[in-house]
Order: sequence, then C-alpha cells, then structure tokens
Amino acid sequence: MKDKKNLTTEINPEIRDILIEMGAEDIYKCYQCGKCTSVCPWFQVEIYDYPVFKFSLETALGVVASSEDKKELDKEIELIYRCVGCEACLEQCPHGISTPNILRAARRLLVDFDSYPETLKSTVQKTHNVGNPFGEHRENRADWAKGLNVLDYQQGMEFLYFPCCLPAYETRNQKVAQATVGVLQKCEVSFGILGVKETCCGEVIRRIGAEDIFKEVAKANIKEFKDSGVKEVLVTSPHCFTTFKNEYPDFGADFEVLHTTQYFSHLIDTGKLKLNKNFDKKVVYHDPCTLGRKNNIYEEPRNILKNIPGLELLEVENFNRSLSLCCGAGSGGLWLEWEKDERIVNVRLKQLTDTGADIIAVACPYCLQMFEETLKSMDVNIKVMDISEIIFECL
Amino acid sequence: MKKIGVFVCHCGRNISSTVNIDEVVEEIKKYPGVALCTDYKYMCSDPGQDLIKKNIQDKKLDGIVIAACSPSLHELTFRNTAVKVGLNPYLTEIANIREQCSWVHSEIKEATPKAISIIESIIEKTKLNESLAPVKVKVNPKALVIGGGIAGIQASLDIANSGHKVILIEKSPSIGGRMAQLSETFPTLDCSQCILTPKMVEVSQHENISLFVYSELEEISGSVGNFKIKIRKKASCVDNNKCTGCGVCSEKCPVSVDSEFDEGMGKRKAIYTPFPQAIPNKPVIDKENCTYFSKDGKCGVCQIVCTLNAIDFDQKDEIVEEEVGAIVIATGYELYPMENMIEYGAGEYPDVINGLQFERLLSASGPTQGEIHRTSDNKIPKRIAFISCVGSRDPEHHLPYCSKICCMYMVKHALLYKEHVPDGEAIVFSIDIRTSGKDYEEFLTRAKEEGNILYIRGKPARIIKQGNDLVVWCINTLTGKQHRVKCDMVVLSMSMVPSSGALDLAKALRIHTNDFGFFTEAHPKLRPVESLVPGFYLAGTAQGPKDIPDTVSQASGAAAKVLTLFSSDEISHSPIIASVNEDLCSGCGICIATCPYDAREMDERKKIVSVNEILCEGCGACISACPSGASQQKNLTDNQIDNMISVLLHSNTKALERE
Repeated sequence: MKDKKNLTTEINPEIRDILIEMGAEDIYKCYQCGKCTSVCPWFQVEIYDYPVFKFSLETALGVVASSEDKKELDKEIELIYRCVGCEACLEQCPHGISTPNILRAARRLLVDFDSYPETLKSTVQKTHNVGNPFGEHRENRADWAKGLNVLDYQQGMEFLYFPCCLPAYETRNQKVAQATVGVLQKCEVSFGILGVKETCCGEVIRRIGAEDIFKEVAKANIKEFKDSGVKEVLVTSPHCFTTFKNEYPDFGADFEVLHTTQYFSHLIDTGKLKLNKNFDKKVVYHDPCTLGRKNNIYEEPRNILKNIPGLELLEVENFNRSLSLCCGAGSGGLWLEWEKDERIVNVRLKQLTDTGADIIAVACPYCLQMFEETLKSMDVNIKVMDISEIIFECL
Repeated sequence: MKKIGVFVCHCGRNISSTVNIDEVVEEIKKYPGVALCTDYKYMCSDPGQDLIKKNIQDKKLDGIVIAACSPSLHELTFRNTAVKVGLNPYLTEIANIREQCSWVHSEIKEATPKAISIIESIIEKTKLNESLAPVKVKVNPKALVIGGGIAGIQASLDIANSGHKVILIEKSPSIGGRMAQLSETFPTLDCSQCILTPKMVEVSQHENISLFVYSELEEISGSVGNFKIKIRKKASCVDNNKCTGCGVCSEKCPVSVDSEFDEGMGKRKAIYTPFPQAIPNKPVIDKENCTYFSKDGKCGVCQIVCTLNAIDFDQKDEIVEEEVGAIVIATGYELYPMENMIEYGAGEYPDVINGLQFERLLSASGPTQGEIHRTSDNKIPKRIAFISCVGSRDPEHHLPYCSKICCMYMVKHALLYKEHVPDGEAIVFSIDIRTSGKDYEEFLTRAKEEGNILYIRGKPARIIKQGNDLVVWCINTLTGKQHRVKCDMVVLSMSMVPSSGALDLAKALRIHTNDFGFFTEAHPKLRPVESLVPGFYLAGTAQGPKDIPDTVSQASGAAAKVLTLFSSDEISHSPIIASVNEDLCSGCGICIATCPYDAREMDERKKIVSVNEILCEGCGACISACPSGASQQKNLTDNQIDNMISVLLHSNTKALERE
C-alpha cells in the first residue's frame, strides 16, 4: 500500500484565500459550462488537452499546484504556464471570469516559492538586471536608431516613441521600429525616444507572476516618464500599450498612450499620411490578442490596410477580430518551448496561409517574432510584415 | 377640544412584562385632552372591545387611542369596534407599544417612559384627526385584454364566461399567439393546435367577447374602474362582411415573402391569413410587400379574382373608442435574436435555427408538413445538436435570467426529432437541465431512456461551418474530453424576451417593467398577477418567462382579480391620501413628476394641481416634494407630524432631566 499514491486531495481554504488576494477573485462565478476550454487556442492543438474549465473550480478548492509528487507537481506547473493570456476565454465567458488572472494568481504564488520554469526565471532576472527580457546590454538599446536622425525625447515634443524591447534589440523587429520612425519623419511628427534610459514595460514579467519586480519596474518607468515630462507615448507593441494604458495608472501614471495603428489610421483619415505607391499584394491581417480582445482595436489596422492602393485585404474565416487565435507568444509563451506538433503558432500560421495571402500583416512585435521564427521551418511562400513596414513601403 | 380616551393593553405579558402599565395609565391620565385612560389584559378580546364601546358611549369620546400591538394587526379590529358605537373609524388610532417598545426592550425603566412618549405622540395625532369617508368610484364592468395568445384567450374566456363584456385586441391578423406555432407540448406531447383551436373558436363565437385583430391600443386615459381607450384597427384592405375566407386571393397573389408564422421556414403571400386555422379566417394585405401599394397600383390580382368584391384597397385605419374598467396585459414573448450569437454563426448559417423555427418544422401543419428538412439543401438531418441556455444565463454578454422553458422544449425537440427521424442522432448540449414542473423530470427521464438521446454537459463555444457540415466545438465538463461534433443542423434554445412592443405599451399605460421589459407584478409572491398601478393585471410571458400551464394559471388568476373588481358596482379606497390646499398651491407641478401612481394632474382652468383620489395610494412622496406646503396627507398633516415630534422630543428631554 505504501508505494500507492494517495489520490484524495484535501481542500485547502488557505491557498484559496491567498490566490483570491492575488487576483483570482472571479472563481466563485464559474458554473462550469466549459466554453472557455473550447475557445482556448490550445483546443486547436488537437493532440493536447488543456482543461481551462477546471482552473476556477480547483482554485476555489485551493488544490492548485498542490501535488506532493515532484513529477505531478511539474505537470501542474506546466499547465499553469501553458496559458498564453489571450483572453479568448474571457471574451466568451458568460460570467466574465478572467482565467488568465486566476492563473496569474497561481503564478504569483509559484514565483514566491521560486517554483517556476527556469527559462522564465532568467527572463525575469534579465528584465530586473538590464531592463530587457533578453539580457542585452542597456547601452545598445538605441542602436536600432543609429543614422536615422532620431532625437532624444525632450519636453514639448508631441510623442515619446517607445519601441518595445523586441524592436529595440532583435534584428528582424528593429526594421519595424525603423519603418515606424520613417513614417513619423515623413509626416513631420515631433517625437523623440528615451534611448538608453528606456526600460522594458514589464508586461511579460507581470504575466509570468513576478509581481514585485514588475511593480519596481513600473514605478521606475513612471518616474522616468514624469521626470522627462512625457505626456503622450506612441507604442509599437500592444503589450506596452495595454500595460501603460490599463495597468500603469494603478501606480500613479498619468500619460496618454497611442498604438501606432491608431495614430497612423488617424493620420490617413485626416489626410496627413498619404500612401502613394501601390502594394499589389494579398494581405491577411492577424489580430493580436492584446490589441484586439484586450483593447478593442480591430478596425484601425484594417482601415490602414484598406487605404493602401492595390492591397487586397483578406480575413481568416471564423477566426478574425474577437474570435482571432493567439500566436502563442503571450504571457511568457515566447520563451517556452513545446513539442513541435504541440504549438499554437503552427495552427495559426496554417489558418493564415490557407487564406492564400502573400503577406501576413501584424501589429505586434511578439506575433512578428513568433511567426518569423516558425516560418523558417515551414515550407510556405508567405511573408510577415508589420503594418508600419507596409506603410513605409508605400510612402 | 376633543375628548380622547386611551386604552392600554397588557397583551398578556407581552407588554406588561417590560412596561409598567400602572405608571403608564397614571401618566397618560394627566395628559392634556385625555378624558379617560384605562387598561385591560387583552384589549382585542370581546370584553376588551366591550370596554372600549362602553367608554366611548359613556364618556362621549370623540377620539380614541389604543396602546397595543402594531396597527397592521388590529387597527381594523378597533376601528370596526368604534364604528359600532358611532365613532368615525379614522378617529381611532393605534399606539404601537409592543413591536416598537416592549419587545425591543428588556428594562422596565427604559420601556415605560418610551411607551408613555409613544402614546402621547399618538394622542397629539388623534387630536387633529378628521372624520373621513372611504373614496368611492363606479366601476365599468367591462375588461380590455391586450394580446390574443393563450394568456389573453384564457383571461378573456374566464371573464366573459362570468357574464362580463371583454374586448380582446391582437396585433397580428389572428389570435392564437405562440402556442399556435408549436407542434406538440411538453410533458404530455399533446398537439398544441388541437388543444388551442377549440379555445380560439370559443373566443370568436362568444357573445361577450369583441375581437379586434390586426389592431393596437392607440390611446388610453382614466383610471381603475373607468378607462377610456382608443383602438387602432389597421386597414386589412379586405371587407370582412363580404369575405368568406375562401382563400382564392392568397392562392393567386403573385408575391411570396417569408412567413412570420412559420418563422421564415416557409412562405406566405402578400394577401394572407397566417395559418389555416386562423381566427378570424379573413385575409389581410401586407401593404409593405403588396405590389399594388409598393408599385403604384400595379397588380390588383386579388381584386380581380375575388368574386365577392371584398378587396378594398382604399380601406383606411379605423379608430374605435371604448370604455373599460380593467385591463389585462398578455402581450407575450419573442425569442432573443439569433444574430447576437456571433460565435454560433447564427443568423448567417441557414442550418442553425432557433426553437420556434424547429417547432414549425415539426408541426404537421408546418411548411414541411412535419418532415424535418434542413434549409440549405432540403436534406433530412441525420444528426442534430440541440444547445441550451442560448442568450440566457449569460450576464456578461446577453441576458442574466433563466428563461425557464428552454430546457423542457429542448428535451421535447430531441425526443420528437428521434420520432420523426428514427435513425437520426440527437445530441443535447446543456449545463443544467431544469425540470421544475409537474411531471417534467419524469418526461426528461423518459426522453433520455426511450429516445436514446446523447447528453453532453457543456456550453459549446463555437459552431464552424465546414462544407455542408456544422461543427460544434465543446468540452464535456463531466469527462473533461474535448469534442468537435459534426452535425447536419443545430437548434438553439434561445431565451425568451418580451414582445418588441411591450416597452412602448408600458410607457403608454404608465406601468412598470423590469430591466428587460417584462411587466412588474405588485408583489413577487403575494400579488403576482396585478400591476402596481390599480386596474392593470398581468398574464403570461409578458410578466416573465413561463410555460403554458403557468401562463394559463396566471391568466385565470388575472381574470379572477378582474372579476373581484367587477363584483361590486363601486370600489372604495382608503381616504388617507394626499390633498391640496388650493390657496397655497402655485401649480409648479413638482408633485406631478414625483407621483409614482400618476395620481396628480394639472387643473388647467385653476392652474393648480389636483389629486386623483382613486389613483392616490397615500405614499406621501408629493407631500415631501411640495415646496409650499399645499400638499397635505389627510390625517397626517404637517401640523400633526410636528406636534408628534415635539411631544417625543419633549418627553426625551424630560427623561434626560430625570437622569
């Protein structure tokens, strides 16, 4: 009998109460309909079962990551970190339960106990130490802008342009920041960057569960913005966008935030941005979860694409706008490796390529990175471009 | 100065254990204006009441205060006692020294002075009380029933069978309502039309019922007992005196549009009766779709083929004026729009249909004669998914309430489908199956066992069209297994919502609805068939989602309430209501906006506001709103309230001084 596992799990109200305090307050609303589970992007990975519907109930019982067996515990931790935070479940939940928030509470607990995936530990530490999740040198942060005549931000400028860590450091993504700057300069917009003083917005480490470090980063950023006199920030990444706009105000931020697609759409509508060159391509737009579902920005990117001469805009049938499928990079997903046939990104790329498009238009550095990396190993003839890059080509 | 008598009750030991009765009597005897104060063990007993009567007569009292329990218990008892010896009932007042004093204190030294204060304040009130008489108004014993579904039909028949006249108005060209659209009814599976049509015929033939179809309420004024109404009879362009309902016009009409009665599953003509058993069986012309009206007098085929010359294109809407004493609201329901369910492709995929559409497919008199074909390619569906709680129980995106009947009609649909297509497969997706009705759980058990119906616990998240198939995505939350279920057809058990015209009607009638447009009952438990506004009664799904048995019960209940109203020639009403001092009223109208019962109206001649004594419920809202003090509650005037408060404050000061 001794070597048999005890399958009875004690109900643990203490764990439940801690998790509720950490943001899992929605758990009692769940009536176990399971809608969350079948809209979850993991549902699309047919060989993988992701039991989203269980999380609220298990949290209510306080039986989260409670296994005493090391192997079982690792499995539970893996489950908690599978969530990409895309909020497809929240979008459809009849009671508005945020499973990503419930899982984030569990992650906070795991981070407190230092029991979370090693790769993510390194992401958190790097962000803490050098201000970006890749461990790149702080002094190289503005290298992407070299030779582009980009000014340092000064009080009185219209915008602070905040490119996000990926476009700051990663070669492919740097082109997005460069294109964005090109468009802004063409439209004679007054803007500047923080350059080497710039630090990651902290979105990903908050989603990973490192709440304390996130708060530290957020407060430092807010101070930096305040000291520099920043009134309005223009961002490339929806992740920076949602963090600045929806989360920083809790820590005393009082600046406006605009996503580049919002601003460029506005410039087109007001005639300040003129697209002269033809772009004779079939383009399918991939809605980033953080821009779409989280911030309800669906039409501005489409408005830009529709205004580009020659461009034919396609949609992924059944999976566009609020029903869009995540690229898999959110909430730490970019740093986690899953088995090759267990990846959300492959499903999404298949949906996108099946439309017959020449170009996948994105509006998020995470999506761009995820798609570019995955396309390398796929035998398809399709390119990924950020909307800013497409605009830049048509100037 | 009034001679006031005060009678202090011990209520056994209920009062006397914490209130020193002797001390109370001694104190009150000294109070100015008190001609007599005495006590008794049980004042509500016969000897107690005799004591009161004797003293009223002997001491020639012109006001009495009974210091006893709450007025909600024995106010009426003591008022009747006083009336027997000739004292106006409104000169009898209760000082509540039990619920508000003896029961909430344990110390005699606290309760006794408080009891004295309470009694003294009521004495002050009684001093300024006037003799009042109940307000009386004649009742017109004729009822208006709005809505000709099963609720309206039942209420009309019950009222008419008791010998009273009924006007029944129905918006569509026939009575019958939703029940006429149904195939078979749960849990007995009797044919809906078979049990409904005899009632419809009875309505049409009843000498006490005047039926107005294709008609709507245009205007209403007056109040309980005496409403004046105007009914708009829409032009049907058919002279019903000449028409025999032969149907040749419909047959020859070249215009074919989606039939509302068949929920778009079948077609009707521009001149049509909604269904063969329609009552009355007279066609109407749908002017919007008729080419005669939409294309400048072209066509006119119906006029040519009608041998009786019954088609009258020049017919105009007619306004009929009537007077009634009571109004029953039975405006029924609609289904929540499928277009709102984007995740189910509803409103876009032709083979995703709602429950009423499926009823029409199942119905022997339906567009397919009871054969189940799918809309897209006429194929017999071999697997149907039935999804419950669509639109309901979803406070985040749709409706928070349980629509009550969907579980049962879904269970029925699955069973009937299996009867129609024995080799077909019915899969029911549900979260809970709520079977709270007589024989309902047994019906579910039977349907599961006999029908071999598969139940999956879970709300599907998406329906995706793949070629000719519909794929339902869901997770079975009991097994934890995810499923992609290929189906030929999906039937959504859509939630009930009030009829589209219900909110406008509520505004016109000035009665309340809840947040979703269901009419609000006067009390959720004890007055479920009355509206808060006197004279309006509620029946059926206009008040909230319910099944046929509940609808019929409520309709009969509403009819009984109407008959109670009609049982006497006049109704009386408490005179403790608002009054207006005409010299003080400036006609500002604040009271009109404040009154929840619509009992205030501007007297345009005098430029002051008057009180409709029948409608006023004596809530006092207008009195506190009145800026000039012109509004006063009878026997609860500002002076009385001031005096009562002064006494209470004064005795409080006295008590403090004693300490």
